[in-house]
Amino acid sequence: MLKTGVRQHSNSGVLLHKTGPQVVQELHACIGCNECLLACPALAEPITIDVLNRETLGGMISASVARFARSCFQCGACVAPCPVGLHRDAMMMWLKVRLLRAGREE
Amino acid sequence: MGFTYRREAPLENGEKGYSWLSSTGGATQIKRLLVTILVMSAAAGFFAWYIHHSNDASPDSYAGYSFAILGTTCLILAAVLYTWRRRSAKKDAVGKLNASLQWHICFGVLGLFLLFLHSFGNFNPRTGTYALYGMIALVISGLIGRVLDRIMPYLITNEVQRALTEQGDDRIEAISQKLQSIVVHNNQSLRSFSAADKPAERDRRANVSPAPTSLVPLSGPISNALPFTSKEQRLHTPWDLAYISLEATPQEINRQSGHYRFVPDKKSELTRPGALMPGAQEQIADLRMIERAMKREQFYRYVIRYWRKFHVALALLTIGLTIWHIVYALQLLLPTLMHK
Repeated sequence: MLKTGVRQHSNSGVLLHKTGPQVVQELHACIGCNECLLACPALAEPITIDVLNRETLGGMISASVARFARSCFQCGACVAPCPVGLHRDAMMMWLKVRLLRAGREE
Repeated sequence: MGFTYRREAPLENGEKGYSWLSSTGGATQIKRLLVTILVMSAAAGFFAWYIHHSNDASPDSYAGYSFAILGTTCLILAAVLYTWRRRSAKKDAVGKLNASLQWHICFGVLGLFLLFLHSFGNFNPRTGTYALYGMIALVISGLIGRVLDRIMPYLITNEVQRALTEQGDDRIEAISQKLQSIVVHNNQSLRSFSAADKPAERDRRANVSPAPTSLVPLSGPISNALPFTSKEQRLHTPWDLAYISLEATPQEINRQSGHYRFVPDKKSELTRPGALMPGAQEQIADLRMIERAMKREQFYRYVIRYWRKFHVALALLTIGLTIWHIVYALQLLLPTLMHK
């Protein structure tokens, strides 16, 4: 059985998804330096990190953040520049899941 | 930063839905696409005009060299600009890297088109043909990579939403806890069942065979008092007789035989609704489904990662083939220029 918690494949270092509470922990740890957004090749329009963090946590998702979430291709370019070692790609995946579920509920 | 986690995620007026076909590029992507189409049309127009008006339609004509220089410049720009911006420590504005990626695609496609025109349909020199094949493979791998960048994250999202509960918690953990509670509940039910059945079993045995041929060990303090004896009178049977039974021991019973099968009777506690919590099999099936989903997620992530590495490897191979072709072309060109 696969281990619960942080999903990391032992041999390859492929990081799988994170759970909601883990994403919340990471969001709390974010210092808002913007390095992840600067390193992102998928982000086409200016978004502030505060808005992104707030909308990742819950509530309404704005059009610009939704566009960014849909265009994120999980390349992991945002992980290396983070000074506190957070996984923005996992947070974006959480946003994608929220969008997907909201769309299916309709 | 003072965030509070809202487990329910209301999206009353916000954006909803996610599909791999969702439009994400916006105006910038359309701008780059238009530039690419315009330049390609201009190059194709010039190519048609040149073929119509010139007798020297070959790769080593002036037009051929022009296409070669322009195409190589486009490919160098495609390779260098994006790589340099990606690796550069100084990133001044959000969205610049995305613009670089768009230009990378634009220059890549343009470069291939111009170098294809440079060939003028002449595929005799091996060096040039191999370099062109390398470029075609490189551009196609890049375009496939862009499609994969859309499809794979969508498939990953589908798998992830299977592995998470509505609140975003780990479903494996939730199912494990549920299974544990089922096991505990069923164990308790079975224990209470055997406790409830023991006195009835004793009574039945006492009625059927009152003789000491069926002396079974009793729970609690051993009592060997018989009905005709007073409470004070005790039979002084040897202690070990109390544990002798002439019935077949469990080890002697053939476990395959039909009568050994456990069939609770109608009055059994186990037939009571809810005595044994059902659903363990369903939970295990769910667990297996999540495991499969996570394996698929891992596979999709590998596809994203290794396709990028494959594209870079193909780029290095194409650079090598192009240098080989340039050296070959210079070997032909330099003596001609020297004699002029």
